[in-house]
This record gives sequence, C-alpha cells and structure tokens, in this order.
Amino acid sequence: MRYHRCTLIKLKSKRCLVCQSLYEMANIENKRVGSNSSTTYGRVLNIGLDKMKVTYCTDVDKSVITYNFEKRGWKQVGPEEDWNFYWAATISCRNIFSIETGYRMGDNQTINHFPNHYELTRKDLLVKNIKRYRKDLEREGSPLAERGDGPGKYLYLDFIPVTFVLPADYNMFVEEYRKSPQSTWIMKPCGKSQGAGIFLINKLSKLKKWSREARNPFNPNLTKESYVISRYIDNPLLIGGKKFDLRLYVLITSFRPLKAYLFKLGFCRFCTVKYDTSIQELDNMYVHLTNVSVQKHGDEYNSLHGGKLSVQNLRLYLESTRGKAVTEKLFSNITWCIVHSLRAVAPVMANDRHCFECYGYDIIIDNKLKPWLIEVNASPSLTSTTVNDRILKYKLIDNIISVVLPPDGIPDVRWNKCPTREAMGNFELLIDEELATQDEKENPGRYKNSLNKWK
Amino acid sequence: MTENSNKKSELHKIADKLTEDIQCMTNYKNLYNEIQRLVASSSVKKEDFKSTLFKALNDEGLETELRNTVFHWTRSQKFMKDDNDNRADLSYLKKAQIQWERRIQKSLNSICNELNVPLARIRPNSDRDELSEKWNELSTCDFADLSQYRPLYAPKDFLEVLFSVRDPSFKKQVNEPNWEFSHIEIRVKTLAQLRDMYKELSQGVTLLGVNGNIPSLQNYPNLENERVHVGAKVLMSNHAPVAQEFLKRGAPRALRGKLWSLVLGSIVKQNDIEYYEELKEMVLQYDIMVDKLIIKDVQLTASNDDQYFVFEDVLYKTMLSFSRDSEVLAPVTMDKSAGGQVIHAVLQGKPTTLENTLVFPPSGVIPFHGFTMYGMILEIKYFYFFSTFELYVFAATPFCYLYDDPCTMYYTFRAFYLRYWFRLHTVSSHEQGIVALCLLFERLLQCHEPQLWAHFRNLHIQPIKIVFKWLMRGFSGHLPPEQLLYLWDLILGYDSLEIVPLLAVTILSFRKDNLMQVNNLHTIEAVLADLSSLKVMPLLQLSLLEN
Repeated sequence: MRYHRCTLIKLKSKRCLVCQSLYEMANIENKRVGSNSSTTYGRVLNIGLDKMKVTYCTDVDKSVITYNFEKRGWKQVGPEEDWNFYWAATISCRNIFSIETGYRMGDNQTINHFPNHYELTRKDLLVKNIKRYRKDLEREGSPLAERGDGPGKYLYLDFIPVTFVLPADYNMFVEEYRKSPQSTWIMKPCGKSQGAGIFLINKLSKLKKWSREARNPFNPNLTKESYVISRYIDNPLLIGGKKFDLRLYVLITSFRPLKAYLFKLGFCRFCTVKYDTSIQELDNMYVHLTNVSVQKHGDEYNSLHGGKLSVQNLRLYLESTRGKAVTEKLFSNITWCIVHSLRAVAPVMANDRHCFECYGYDIIIDNKLKPWLIEVNASPSLTSTTVNDRILKYKLIDNIISVVLPPDGIPDVRWNKCPTREAMGNFELLIDEELATQDEKENPGRYKNSLNKWK
Repeated sequence: MTENSNKKSELHKIADKLTEDIQCMTNYKNLYNEIQRLVASSSVKKEDFKSTLFKALNDEGLETELRNTVFHWTRSQKFMKDDNDNRADLSYLKKAQIQWERRIQKSLNSICNELNVPLARIRPNSDRDELSEKWNELSTCDFADLSQYRPLYAPKDFLEVLFSVRDPSFKKQVNEPNWEFSHIEIRVKTLAQLRDMYKELSQGVTLLGVNGNIPSLQNYPNLENERVHVGAKVLMSNHAPVAQEFLKRGAPRALRGKLWSLVLGSIVKQNDIEYYEELKEMVLQYDIMVDKLIIKDVQLTASNDDQYFVFEDVLYKTMLSFSRDSEVLAPVTMDKSAGGQVIHAVLQGKPTTLENTLVFPPSGVIPFHGFTMYGMILEIKYFYFFSTFELYVFAATPFCYLYDDPCTMYYTFRAFYLRYWFRLHTVSSHEQGIVALCLLFERLLQCHEPQLWAHFRNLHIQPIKIVFKWLMRGFSGHLPPEQLLYLWDLILGYDSLEIVPLLAVTILSFRKDNLMQVNNLHTIEAVLADLSSLKVMPLLQLSLLEN
C-alpha cells in the first residue's frame, strides 16, 4: 500500500516524521530478515580483505560470540598466534597482562577486560572504592558528598547498601548491627558469583556460629575466604508479589577519560517464589536470590520465559501504574549510580588502551523506587536461557563489537573511541568525559547543565 | 407545525427510553443516591428548585456524571442496531453460530464424560479453604491434575467454521476458491471510507507512538509533553466524550488507564468493589468444570509469555471472577448473534430438583446480588461463552500493564470485552463481528495489494489463514505490549475494531518484499512470526494518509 507521498505532513519540522520513523523501522526489519545471510546484519564492514583480515581468538565457547565474529568474516586463531580481537576469560586476560608472561600488545589488538577490573567487580573492592570516593569528594567539599539525616547517610551517594568486609571489619559491623538488631543481613563470599555461598542472617549468634564452623579444622579453606556482609534490602519492589533485580549491561571503552555506554535491552530477573520476609523462609533462596543460576533449579522455573521481563516492559508498567515523574526519576537514579560507581574506580583502574569491558550491573529497586547497586560482574553470563535471551545476547555482542572498533573495523589503539550513532546500536551514551570537556570548551555552561542531569 | 410536533414526540420517545434504560444501568443506584443527597442538601432551595438544582448538579460534578451516563448509553445503542439486517437474508450466519455452539457443548460434555467430572458442584470445604487462603497467589494452588484437560478449541477450529459458512443463494463459480468471504453480503468500508472515518490519521496529525520528541504545535517542549498536559486537563474535566476524542492521537502511558476507564464508564465505585467481592465468593462456593479449563489456559498462555508471566496470579483471579459474572452474560446473550439454547446443570450429588439447579439469569434482569439457590438453568451460552478462555486471557493480559489494583483492572477489562472482544468469537453479521472484519481484511488486501493477493492465490494459501490469530486476539500476544496499547487506544478512540484488519493488511504490505520471496505456509508464517520491531502508529498512518 504505497499511498504515502510524504508531502502532507511537513508539520513544523522540515523532515517528514512518519517517514523517518518508518525508515528506522524498515532498517530494523531488513536486519531482522537478513540476519541469516552473513552480510546484511548490522554494519557492512568495509575491510580490504586482501590487505588485512581481522583475526580473533576466544576461550569462551559461546555460539553468540563465535557467530558474531564469523558473520564479520573474521578468522579464528589461537592465543599464541597473531590475533586482533581476543574475547577472553578473565583468567587468560590476567595471564596476558602479568609481568611474567611479558606479552606486549600491538596497536591492532584489543581485548575484552581491563587488567584490574576486579577493583569494580570484586564485592569487597567495589565497596572499598566507593567508600574512598565519597571521602575524597567530601574532602574536596564537593556538593555531591552532601550528607543527609543520620550518620553515614549521603544524600546523593547512598546507592549501595551498608556493607562491611568480614572478618576485617567485624567490629564495625557489630556496632552497626546493634543500632538495629531486628534487621536482616546478607553474607556473600567476595570471590564467588552466581549466588554461590550466599546466605541471610538475622541474629548475631548465627554469624558467630558460622564463623566457628568456618574455622573448623576439617574445612580450613573457608577461613581464607573473605566475605562481605550487607544490609539486606528487605523492602524490594514486588511485581505480582515477586522479587526481581535488574541486569543491565554497561560497556566501558576507557576509564580516563571515562567513556561508558548503557545497553537499552536490559532485563529484570524474577524469583519464582512469592516474596516472604518471614524467618522460616530466610533460608529459602528461591524467595530471596534472583540469580538465574539459582532459580533454574527451582520447581517453578519456567524455561520459556526464564523469569525474565524486559526493562522496557518494566518501564511501561511503572509509568502506567505509578506515573511518569517517579519512573523517570528512578531511571535517572539508576544511571546516576552506574556513573558514580565507575567514577569511584576510575582513578585506580589501569586504563590500558587495548581494553574494553562489558559489565553486568545488578540493581535492586526498593518499594520506594530507589535503586540499589548490588554488584558488578566482569563476565556477565552469555548463556542463553530462552529464545529472546539468545536474540538479546546476540545483539549485545554485535553492538559491543561495533562500538569498540573504529569505522574501518580493525582494532586500533590510536582511534579516538568516538563511535558514530549508528555504530552504537542499542547502546546509549552514559558519559563521555572527553566529549563533555570539548563541549564545554565550545559552549561554556552547557556541560554544567548536563552534569545537573546526574543529580 | 405537524413536523415540529412529530419531532417533539420523537424526542419524547427517546427521552422515555433513555430514562427507562438508565434505570437498568449499573451506576444508576449510585447516581440516584448522589442526586437525592444533593436535593436534600442546603444548596438546593425549594423556592427556586430548578435553577438551584441545576447549579448544585453542576458544582458537584454530577452534571458531568449524567452527561457521561448518557454518552455510555448512546454508545451502547450504536452497536445494538445492525444495519445489515434489512438488506440481505443473513440467517445462515445465525445457523452457523448455533451449530458452533452445539459443537462446543458436545465437546464440553465429552470432556466431562471422559474425565468423569461434573459440570458443576458445590465446592468441598477443604478446596474452598485452600482457594480462599491462596486467592492472591493462585499459581501456588495445587489444582488437581490438569494434564487431561485440553482447550476446547483453537483459532484454527473457529476459522474452519467461518470457512464453511455458505450463503445458500450463492452460486459458486467453477474456478472460484472455496474460501473467500466475499460472497457474504455484509457491507464493509472501502479504504476511502476508512480514511474518512480515521480522519485524524489520514490528515496526518501528529500522533504519540510515532516520535514523542517531535515539536509541539502549542507552547510545549515537545509532543509528548503536550499530550501529557492536555491529557491531564481532559481527566480533570471528567468528560467521557472528550477523553474518547483525546485517545485518537494516542494516550501517554501514565494517563492511559484512567482515560480508558473514563471512556468505558468503568470507574470503580463502592458498589463495584462489593460486587467484585461477591464474584470471588461465587468462585469459592461453586466448583464449575470450566475453572479447570480457565486455569489450564492461563498456564498455557500468559504463564509462559515473557511479557505477561509476572501477572499470572492477577489473571487467574480475573478470569475466575469473570466466569461468575452474570452482568457479562446478559449483554452477550441479548445480542442478536446469540444462539440462545438452554441446558440445565444439576449440582452433583443432589436430586434433580429446581433447588439444586444453578441459575444464571439469561436476561440479566434478576441481579446477582439477590440471587438465592433457586432453580438454576445453565444456559448453553454460558458454557459456550466460557469455553473461549484462551481469548479472555489474551483480552485481559494487556490490562495488567495499566492497573495495579485487580478490581480496577477487572472492570475495565470487562467493559472492553463487552464492547468489542466478544464479537470476535461469535459468527454474526454485525459490522464489528469477526466475519465482517475478515471480509474487510480480504477486500483491502485484494484491492490494494493485488500482487500479494495473487501470490497467495497461486500458492493456494488463504490470506486470512495467516492473520486470523491476529484478528481474533486483537493482536494481543503478538504485538509488544506498548504497541498493543496504542492500537487499543485507537479502538477506543474511534470506537471500532476496523483498525485491526487494517493493521493486518498494512503489516503484510510492509513485509511484502519478503512475503513475495517465500512460497509455502510455513515460511510465510516465519516471515510474520516476529512483530516485535513494528510500530503501530506510523504503520497505520502510512496506510491511511491521503495522496
């Protein structure tokens, strides 16, 4: 039905908006349909094949990754060979950067982790860095570090639950615990992921008992491991009576200046069992932990949707039922806490220009619509639990590759890391300090406004 | 002079009918009480009764309530009359409907016989307690084994029924395909007529759902902002017709729920809350075989859908309450398309006496509230009606995104259902009925996408077969929630389902290039399986814009 002549609705702007929106849709459509042929999806990479063929290496055996590389016509090589693009597990990455190996990366090489990403992704270090960041800002007299009512309460930087490292901060924890002895706390081993080793406590005696058992001579390993203990968010926002958290993907291409992008297609991970704060249910992890790796073992787990609801639908629901203003505030607070967690670690990160990294942010929203940063993962799961999940992760990898590579598609550390709008795909710019500074030079005052946006 | 008096008496008749009808409307009692209270108040003076009353009505917002009531009455009248009645003998459609109802009844009885379960019984106390305790988390209820229950029918079965509808006076040509609806003499609109009807879209006014950031024509930062502000004013005014008008350009998310309730007259009052509670009591009291089918259907649809699974429990509640709602039954059975056969269901284990038979009043005149255990005639319509739960689930799910409160959700869903959706699974000649919509789809496709039409025809594939699911479900479960809500904004705004087949044609047209490249049903369905990238408003505007 091609009736549309596009002359009628010029409206106030010169472009025809219906056309524009249809054009965008058609673009997506073409990609969708063409995704089985190898060239049409995403950007057509303009590589002079005879000049240079991009080589890749990976030790993460996930089809969403290899498929994305092969679709671009890249050649697979081993880690000892000459690779341009390495999608590595954190451990192989650590080897490459360790002094003993003495590996020196060339200008045309890129790798998917920063050498000391654990500053952000280890639970204890994240807390340490954020605490230090707040203190630094406070010392500078920054308005960001303004305090509110009650000791230790920051007006704008109070975005992680009160947390202590055990056994080191045990005394501080006890002091805090005594202030509100009715509260529930959550214990997490610092170095583990996917919900392993996590438990809730609501009595000091239970912690003491755990500590005695941990020193059990038959189980000597446990003493070495440090834990974080955090105030449990016991008033999470519930939908359909169930608890959920957000899994958001944040891509960093540089820490100094900070360049960060947020993937728009994040999702909520729901518990399979109704939320229940009663003491009997304290040990029932299907009630409390949203990790898919935990939930999928439950009887109620549904493998068709995997307990995942898109963030877009969450937003639709919240805006419809709670209103526009509060929803917008929630989402701007979410980006606020992501940006400040990154700023908190930026000074200590080894800002290697060969690196980029995509982090999995876990955020819980409480029933007052305040977001809490729970933790950050260096290697967010690329396992697909459902069909939609697979599509999402496929797009994620595709978009990551196109953001981190210069327009000619060959890794190059000399590139200024400013991707075009088109290359960003489903990523949106969270912050680019370099662009912001430039912008401020050109239009003084404008950056100030955009900074205010973060407040 | 005579003409004048004729007019007068005409007006009189309408006024009489209006007065009579309003007394049967659900909010009458409320309205009446409010007005009585007002009359008794000090603001109404005996000396100047008329003008003080008018003023008081106006001040208290009751005038608007009255106006809205008349608006809802007028709307209900609009769909009552059926223009097609006079032109051609369409009684064969009614026959088809009766046959369809019989088929469902048979199928229902055979399930009962096979599984050896009664149609209805008093719920045993233990079950009742469990149900009552877990009313807010029915998904955790241990409902007997449901693996033996099967859905009564799927859209494709219903489509078969529609295909077999034959005008007896129509002589089929030798090379005529066996499946077009074109011989059925229902008048449907042409594209030009649709453009006239969907004037705002065809004239290219700016719409929400195209791009909220486009500049506003008034003094607002952008269109979205403008719509939010104007929408808030519309809600303040509380005028239903204004709200309906407002929906034509798409509702802002945060206002949609309230706007829909206003247009549909489904704003919840105290007596509605009580009635909703009574429905729950009815569910607890009687165990009706269809409950199992309802649960099964929620499990098969919403519980497995990544857009709706979080609302599973609300849906169980809504569906079960809905199945006990006699106010739902009345309008549906009174409709001309009803087959209207009656069966009796005797409570299991009780002697066959009038006392032990369940009654769902076919006319709706006997209110549910005053209902005692006195003689119950279970209309076949009831079972027929409540055998299409899959469709209810599809019809209800989008409302989960709009309302947090299950009661508010219930009433708006119900009003929407009664206005539009029930016509999508009855065979009738109604201009909003499924037959007319299928016909409209075919005509539009044939006239405006002849190439596609010929392509399908060469492949011996009925185009309607590809889009029937979409039509029957109003696209629910196929379009992403946000887009679906825009589509339903338009349904409410223009008070018509004709936009649904129009969108179906537009989508085929939009994916024409890909459709032309494939040549079997399986691949055609694959091309159309994923609608997640589509935007409803620009697509519709594309097809309606005038040259």
